[in-house]
Amino acid sequence: MTGVIQHPRTAEAAAEVVAGFFDRYGAHDVEGMTDLCSMNADISYVPVELWGKQRVLRGDGKVRTVGKPLWAGLIASFPDLTVTVHTIAGNDEGDVVAQVDIGGTQQRPWGLIAPAGRHYREPHLFVFQVGTDLLIDSITAYWNDASISQQLGHQEVD
Amino acid sequence: MTTPAEAVQTFTDALARRDVDAAMAVTASRVSVTVHPFGLYEKDAAVLRSVLADLVRAFPDLMISVSRVITTGDVVTVLLKAEGTQADGYAGAINTEKHLDIDQAWRFVIADGSITEVTAYWCQAQLYRRLAVKRYDQIAIA
Repeated sequence: MTGVIQHPRTAEAAAEVVAGFFDRYGAHDVEGMTDLCSMNADISYVPVELWGKQRVLRGDGKVRTVGKPLWAGLIASFPDLTVTVHTIAGNDEGDVVAQVDIGGTQQRPWGLIAPAGRHYREPHLFVFQVGTDLLIDSITAYWNDASISQQLGHQEVD
Repeated sequence: MTTPAEAVQTFTDALARRDVDAAMAVTASRVSVTVHPFGLYEKDAAVLRSVLADLVRAFPDLMISVSRVITTGDVVTVLLKAEGTQADGYAGAINTEKHLDIDQAWRFVIADGSITEVTAYWCQAQLYRRLAVKRYDQIAIA
């Protein structure tokens, strides 16, 4: 008889999955980050909102359709992107909260911000839900986009 | 013995009632306060009191809706929405009587039933957008 060995979802195991996610983020391995998420995983990047004339585009959706392009775009615009994890804490229900600094030097346009070779570093709070299969089911993140804009020399509130 | 989740619930319930004194009653006097959107990194309850009082003063109809409370040991993370109508200057923005709704995350560390560390995350770009601020270098000009 063959079968997959399933490790139980403990607080430590869930936190380990998230630590692996950020290791891959720091290595600019978007496919690897995605591989740690379930097929239908949700993402909510709360500060992301692009105001058009008739609608607002938000950073809410699925990891594979919203998350991947955001991660790949950020890495393309900031090729020296660094990911510094300060704390990761989980519980046995699969909730994991992480305090992380993300930063880099802008080489390509990012949103409406033209590249000026400036560097930013910004604290983020990530909230993950890790499923019993030890795959990430949801990612929610908070940060201050105004600070990033100002660090990059962009003064307009878009 | 007050649990970490109970201490934080007391804090958020009090803030939802705009009762700053009751919120501060579960906070240690040397609480570490980090409010990233304001660039605040202090270890003083008076600083936290000032952050809460400014919010309640500027938005007298403030509503706090908690969507999630996540307990991980002695750390409690609260995801909430703050809503209200501006009635006074706030964060440098003059009062234009705009409605504010902003999603926030607050991370609390609790020891012996008291909040010893508070870290708040929200996007100041969203806040200024809602308060009709056009430029970060001219916040007071609406």
